[in-house]
Amino acid sequence: MTAYLIRRVLQSILVVFISAIATYVLLSFAPGGPMAGLRQITQSGRFQITEEDIARIRASFELDLNLSIRFSRWLIGMPRGPVVIAGNEYFADVAVGCRKPIEAEVLNSRGEYEIKIVGCKETVYLKDLVGRRTSNGILRGDFGLSWRILRDRPVSDLIESRLAKTLQLIGLEVMLSLLIGIPLGIYSAVRQYSKFDYIFTTLAFMGSAMPSFFFGLLLILTFSIIPKGAGLPYIPAGLSESVRDYTIPMIGDVVAGSAKDRILHLILPVTVLTLINVAGWSRFIRASMLDVLRQDYVRTARAKGLREITVIMKHALRNALIPFVTIVVFTIPALFSGAIITESIFAWPGMGRLYILALGDYDYPVAMAIFFILAVLTVFATLLRDILYTIVDPRIRLN
Amino acid sequence: MLRNRLFFVLGLLVIASMVLSACGGAAAPAATEAPVATEAPAATEAPVVEQTSFTTPHPILGDLKVRQALSYCTNKADLIKSVYPLLTEEEQASLIMNTFIPRAHWAYAGDENVTIYPFDVEKGKALLDEAGWTLPEGATFRVNAAGDELALKFTTTTAAFRQTWASIWEKQMADCGVRVVRLHAPASWWFGDTTGIARRDYELGAFAWVGQADPGGQTLYACDQIPLPENGWEGQNAMGWCNELASSNIKLANNTLVKDDRIAAYTIVQQEFTKDIPSIPLFNRTETFATAADLTGFAPAPGQEYYNYNVQEWAKAGSDTVVLGFTQEPASLFVLVEDAFVANIAYQIIRPAQEIHLNYDFKASLVKELPTLENGGTTNNDVEVSAGAMVVDSNGDVVELAAGVSVINAAGETVEFTGGTVTMKQLVSRFELVDGLTWEDGTPVSSADLELGYKIDCDPESGATSFITCDKTASVEFLTDAAGYVQTWIPGVQDPLYFVPVWRIYPAHQLGDLPAKDWATDPRVAETPLAYGPYKLVEWVKGEKLVFAANEYWVGSAPVSPNFVIQIITPESAEGLLLGGEVDILASETLAGLNETLKAAEAEGKIKTFVEAGGTWEHIDVQLFIR
Repeated sequence: MTAYLIRRVLQSILVVFISAIATYVLLSFAPGGPMAGLRQITQSGRFQITEEDIARIRASFELDLNLSIRFSRWLIGMPRGPVVIAGNEYFADVAVGCRKPIEAEVLNSRGEYEIKIVGCKETVYLKDLVGRRTSNGILRGDFGLSWRILRDRPVSDLIESRLAKTLQLIGLEVMLSLLIGIPLGIYSAVRQYSKFDYIFTTLAFMGSAMPSFFFGLLLILTFSIIPKGAGLPYIPAGLSESVRDYTIPMIGDVVAGSAKDRILHLILPVTVLTLINVAGWSRFIRASMLDVLRQDYVRTARAKGLREITVIMKHALRNALIPFVTIVVFTIPALFSGAIITESIFAWPGMGRLYILALGDYDYPVAMAIFFILAVLTVFATLLRDILYTIVDPRIRLN
Repeated sequence: MLRNRLFFVLGLLVIASMVLSACGGAAAPAATEAPVATEAPAATEAPVVEQTSFTTPHPILGDLKVRQALSYCTNKADLIKSVYPLLTEEEQASLIMNTFIPRAHWAYAGDENVTIYPFDVEKGKALLDEAGWTLPEGATFRVNAAGDELALKFTTTTAAFRQTWASIWEKQMADCGVRVVRLHAPASWWFGDTTGIARRDYELGAFAWVGQADPGGQTLYACDQIPLPENGWEGQNAMGWCNELASSNIKLANNTLVKDDRIAAYTIVQQEFTKDIPSIPLFNRTETFATAADLTGFAPAPGQEYYNYNVQEWAKAGSDTVVLGFTQEPASLFVLVEDAFVANIAYQIIRPAQEIHLNYDFKASLVKELPTLENGGTTNNDVEVSAGAMVVDSNGDVVELAAGVSVINAAGETVEFTGGTVTMKQLVSRFELVDGLTWEDGTPVSSADLELGYKIDCDPESGATSFITCDKTASVEFLTDAAGYVQTWIPGVQDPLYFVPVWRIYPAHQLGDLPAKDWATDPRVAETPLAYGPYKLVEWVKGEKLVFAANEYWVGSAPVSPNFVIQIITPESAEGLLLGGEVDILASETLAGLNETLKAAEAEGKIKTFVEAGGTWEHIDVQLFIR
């Protein structure tokens, strides 16, 4: 077991490292970035961009450094200058980038002109890195500074500001989904082809097929805008809390920012996410239970005269849950990544929106931090799943 | 073992899918259209080159009668209706453009001074007949004597907005017997550095310009600004329009600082422009705002820079708080480095600009007056300049004066410096802040605060994008008897916006010792800047809201609403939150336009909407020559 765990942890580290390299490289080559559009900025008498301006801005985003150097500084915060041993500097004149590339208009193979970098006017050497701002490296918990969303301030501040809200939303949703989805799935399997099963199956298909953005808008209209307009009790349409106090008919006064206010704001987004998850998960449990209920050992248990509840809960459910473990452990990365669409529909300030913003605004330090944490959590969830298998299914051995 | 390997591979696949989804997300915005190109009014003069290409008039569009016919056959009202169907007819009519300057602009020549082409199909058809393009019996499209069909390639972007009005225009042209072959190209190609407009690769081409307080236009319509292979494709006059009278007047307008003279020059340019029709101006795009029905004081205006110029007058009945919805959170309130519109809107609440920019014009706000030549606040002196001095050359670049440098002398002539001295114009302006301007902590705003503004804005370590204003500054003398300064520009600077205050105000008593390199990262600068405006920032909950409270030291009248909140929302939730009463204002950066939901809510009395002619305007450029 210990040897297995050590091996898996080492493999996980390798996977995370490879994913970090792959993501970093791909983002580096993605179109856009902080320099996009700079050339098109208004060339008015009060605002002109010179070659020196562009060089300075590239340097501030480290875009003047070679990709490997940038990655190394992002990962471990090094190199920060020449290697100093016993007071002597080494490798000071090693080229690590280009401050002012030479661009030229060249004819490509399609017969079109395009601007390409054909040389370097001003090289960046290792010694030039002394005094430049850099993070301490993601491995030491420093995600660096945001390029766009929280310009020049720590990425960790940004993640911290969104994480609590996402944990609140997704945590509650996962808990409710488990509490509702598992019993529903079991009951539906045990009462297969009953009226309940037909109704449940129909609703589950509808829930699975309903896009969350449509479902969200439907709920906002039905439970917020229309009843509010009609003077009936309503649920706030969005946000995580209100800015000012308000009164809801039959519920009474609600103080902005109070627990009551926050709970009211949670209702609609949690409902959307829970219903969609319940629909999927309960179908999964139902199918799994139906498989198990047909097994010989279940028949044997019944033949032994065990109570039906014992047969279902002890003999059937435990085995039916094995594949479900896979689904449940992968809610761990989901707890961090949030729910992009639902957060957008309800203006919920969570990680999902941050993730989309980071990509849309070319804020690659933020995007990289999210990717990295997600990669770690995904790998961790995989490992956890394997360990959980041994607990729920004694036949599985980790060797 | 096999299973472990399988998991390992699956793990990689998960990572790869995450990576791929990331790439998809990142690439998407790059594919979106840059909505508009921006006019470049900088005074530049291309070197004289021998033109060997684009000398042959376009066989169809080179004929003025055809261009006139296209204008008469264009029903601008219907084009507007196609993209803004919910506006009233009056609102739609207010968007029509006649020249390259919006009708609300101070430099617009007036309907009576330009040639207007009202929608008149019969007139258009007659002109085409005269031009030799006749309609054979039973045919849809016209042909010339040689039997060639009257067909024109029309290039524009893939934006749904343009697809909509372009399809209507295609039909309008067909009604006159002109076949328009539409090509909706990716914005990256159409606005590319080496493709599309930049290479004059079109016959008829549509895009948008942004109208600015200063009309500029020199690089658009001057004869020496026609992009050609011979001049490295420099210039923005991609139509190839060269009208000597217009060209000399556009230069005159850009080389004089007297407003009346500029208006007269622009009037001539507009007259020639509408006579020659190198481009068919269509309509202004709209800016849409929506507010709660019981919100008062909100008054957006056409040609404004910031719609919250009068934020202290906004109030919501029965509430002590006004809530403005933002779909984009300001990244920082250090607007020197973060110049996004939303950051500036938020900044204006705590530190309003020293001038108000409305209706394409300026008026003093926190300065006693805008120092113009007319009121004596600015002088345009003749100075003797010798080698080694920094000057603005005839191309508008800041250079060290040396033999061979071309400059504009005090007489307005372009001369080459050969040594000795040259007499040039030098602008000197005196800016003085209004009395009583005070920081939220009770410290009066002083010249030291302006001096800090100058110091930080001109420090390369601050992270600013451009230092051109600093480079063009010869000296700044800060007043000791009042809060203000005397700005002396280097010789050759003849910026028509010379009267606009130059330097920001930063709290020297708080940040005087903070090194420039730390400004962008310091929370006192980026997140909780001290206010001298009507509101002070009380709290910024990241991702959620910025909370402001009335600043008791504000020099103007106290804000009507004691509290103000910028609520961070999403585009998907915006209208629901307005209708649900969670936010009170959605502005033009959030609303793409007037839609059925807003219109219906307004009809029910739940909200108010405001539609203004924006500065951005659509037009169809005409390629006058072929390569």
